[in-house]
Amino acid sequence: MKNIALTLITSMMALSVQATTQEDIKSFTLDNGMKILVLEDSSIPNANMYLFWKVGSRNEVPGITGISHFFEHMMFNGSAKFGPKMFDRTMEAAGGANNAYTSENVTVYTNWFPAGAMETIFDLEADRIARLDIDAAMVESERGVVASERTTGLENSNWRVLQEELKGAAFRAHPYSWSVIGHESDIAAWSLEDLREYHSTYYAPNNAVVVIAGDVKLAEVRAMADKYFAPIPAKAPPREIKTLEPEQKGERRVFVKKASVSTPNLMLAYHIPETAHPDHYALDLLAAILGEGKSSRLYQSLVNNQIALGVETYMPESFDPNLFYFYAVAAADTDAAKLEQALLAEIAKVSDTGVTAAELEKVKNLRLMDFYRTLETINGKANTIGTFELFMGSYGKLFSAPEEYNKVTPQDIQRVASQYFIRANRTVGVLAAEEELDQ
Amino acid sequence: MIRQLVTATAAVGLVFSLSACAPDPQTVTNVAPAVSSFQMPPSETVILDNGLTLMLMPQTEVPLITVNAVVRAGSVADHVAGIASITAQSLLLGNKLASKQETELLVDSLGASLNADSGVEGSYIGADFMTKDAEQMLPLLKAVLTGPTFDQTEYSKLLKNKVAALAQAKESPRAVIGAYFNAQLFADHPYGSPSFGDSESLQNMSLQQVRDFYLVHYQPANTALTIAGDFELAEMKAYVEGLFSDWQGAGAVEALAPEPIEAPNSAKVLLVDKPDAIETTFLIGGMGISRDNPDFVGLQVINTILGGRFTSWLNDELRVNSGLTYGARSGFTSFRDGGTFRISTFTKTSTTEEAIDLALATYARLWEQGIDQATLDSAKAYVKGQFPPDYETTGQLSSLMADMYLFDFGPEFINEFEAKVNGLTLAETERLIDSYFPRDNLQYVLIGRADAIQDIAAKYGEVRRVDMQAPGFAR
Repeated sequence: MKNIALTLITSMMALSVQATTQEDIKSFTLDNGMKILVLEDSSIPNANMYLFWKVGSRNEVPGITGISHFFEHMMFNGSAKFGPKMFDRTMEAAGGANNAYTSENVTVYTNWFPAGAMETIFDLEADRIARLDIDAAMVESERGVVASERTTGLENSNWRVLQEELKGAAFRAHPYSWSVIGHESDIAAWSLEDLREYHSTYYAPNNAVVVIAGDVKLAEVRAMADKYFAPIPAKAPPREIKTLEPEQKGERRVFVKKASVSTPNLMLAYHIPETAHPDHYALDLLAAILGEGKSSRLYQSLVNNQIALGVETYMPESFDPNLFYFYAVAAADTDAAKLEQALLAEIAKVSDTGVTAAELEKVKNLRLMDFYRTLETINGKANTIGTFELFMGSYGKLFSAPEEYNKVTPQDIQRVASQYFIRANRTVGVLAAEEELDQ
Repeated sequence: MIRQLVTATAAVGLVFSLSACAPDPQTVTNVAPAVSSFQMPPSETVILDNGLTLMLMPQTEVPLITVNAVVRAGSVADHVAGIASITAQSLLLGNKLASKQETELLVDSLGASLNADSGVEGSYIGADFMTKDAEQMLPLLKAVLTGPTFDQTEYSKLLKNKVAALAQAKESPRAVIGAYFNAQLFADHPYGSPSFGDSESLQNMSLQQVRDFYLVHYQPANTALTIAGDFELAEMKAYVEGLFSDWQGAGAVEALAPEPIEAPNSAKVLLVDKPDAIETTFLIGGMGISRDNPDFVGLQVINTILGGRFTSWLNDELRVNSGLTYGARSGFTSFRDGGTFRISTFTKTSTTEEAIDLALATYARLWEQGIDQATLDSAKAYVKGQFPPDYETTGQLSSLMADMYLFDFGPEFINEFEAKVNGLTLAETERLIDSYFPRDNLQYVLIGRADAIQDIAAKYGEVRRVDMQAPGFAR
């Protein structure tokens, strides 16, 4: 699918665009197993480095839930050469900024910097990967930070409140059962030893993929990788996650009470396969047909008809089988039961009568727009290249994705709806100010 | 879970005083001079016979185009709270070319997006689409902007939906604390009015009022089209000129005289009671600066040190050293005739006093300790290094041109940014701190469990307590 961008231009007005192609991405792997992907892009005088670590809340066990995310914080709190606070101070003084995120599956560190500061970034990253120095005092203040992060999420996001409870019901065996931020009591309880062991197990170069995009040259990236990352020794691969969530045998329900909620919030979730599964593309297009854009089925039937204030679908990237989410907020005079019935009726329509070719065409265009938006910034490129490499098995699949979407037929959409969107496979969550009374 | 919250400060505004019409089409071509390493991409500005301003900036990264129609009529022009916003959103309820439903279907079918809303100083109709669809989306945008049909049934639905959405927004302190703060700081001045209105103002807003607002403000001489993306400049200019040349306004554009802004003369605390709160969310601040202030860039550098980055004093003290919060920040938001300065953070209910005291003590370092050369150098490097990614996408560049139109500045903002940052001296930082950072009569908004924190609130100023679920924002 080289030059997909060029093949689409039919308008008189178009300039010749320079959209990124698969061939623009270069890849090499160090002897210690660290894979590095490089995209030269001089559109702005900046560059980035994204480090994807294959560790997330799925690698946790009860007692240390949330430790992956906590660890993400501790990676900024001091190493042999750069003591506490010096990671951020050094990076910012060089014009760089950073952030990081942890999901159920991965921990990702993101550095954004003027291209001339690249060596500083290599130096900082290598030091904390190889020689992290976990300071007991820093652990204690960071516990407060993470507790505040947890609290502010629950205070400001109904989604967060409801999803935490729903996941606990939808999964009873697999570690996707708990939230990424972890149980409050675990945040208060993990030990220095837990943290040291976590770093030693998961922060090995052979457990990472690094993406560098921006105004850099492959040769200089390679030289710096050889100097800073190559000396870090490989380790034995981490333990695999062997737990399979048992098949759900009937609908599960949870209710959460929160006094300040003005109208009920409803979350439905169905078990679906992992992202690398062949059904991914059909499910993703189904998510768009149902929930993306004002012409989508759920917007038209629920929002336009004033049953809901808003409705959306969500499908997280996932190494293991996970959930397909629906989320809706009731309109002023709608109760949770009515909202649920209206949502279920729309979902059932796809299984019963399928979707039209025009609907499918529409969401393929939506995904094509998403693809271009991703390629518009060096950060979008780096994040997406790494995400495809990890979740789809190859960064090249980013560029074949438009073709994979094109292959999906209306029959595929109806099949996946019928297969996964069934009552026995569903968990329902309701968040409201008052619980309904017994009849 | 992310390491730090990323907050975007959208400063949008309005200028009513600019020329209402131009005798001939005027063309200004901007060719980037070599002053600083990051330059604004070349662009062209044209004023059509009907007064409409066109701003065009070709970009070749991806085959996409972003267009904004920006009208000088934001919430500052509201005579009823929220009318600028509701008027903008009402344009999407159907037009001369297509019904609401048909419009939505056409946009989605192309994978495009179309949205409309107002900010403080301007209203925006924005569209995002693939270049190949320009000749479908631009005529649609024109119909939305110039030929809305204002369907009564859809309008009633919109209002009902917005009233409910306001109640929903009040479930999140973070979503609404800024509206309370502006009401507290600006009181009766238009900047104190929430752009999105309030549940009472919206309930009584008639479609006729919306039509009237539209007729007064939506005129070619009061509007710019800012187009960034994959197009050939001469062809796009000719096409858009042809398309919009027949748009005529309903009359002379009304220029609003700026109303005087009075700085607060005593410290006040607005205590917003949320009985089920599990933390206290708070803002502390006062008057900021207008967008045309010559020290706009210098203040950005100083604010970076105080609360604009991870190693800033506020984040270092409240998060890193004490673990009181997940994040603490500060920032200026600028409008045409004024602005705000705010420190913002949150902490669990039991550490409310400790966090406020620490925020104030840290803020006082600006005067008591000042800034040293190493910190200034670091902040300069940071501000310069993080600048280019703000102007990378067609959406960002279209918005930049919209701001240039509303606030009447040129490409020199981008092209001289680095030089202005470099030129900031330690002596200058002292002058800027003394001139602009509000030191006395600070204004506070605390959202939390009032019964638990009202005695603490009284330490900082005269307390006014309101119920979060009461309509409006305590203006």
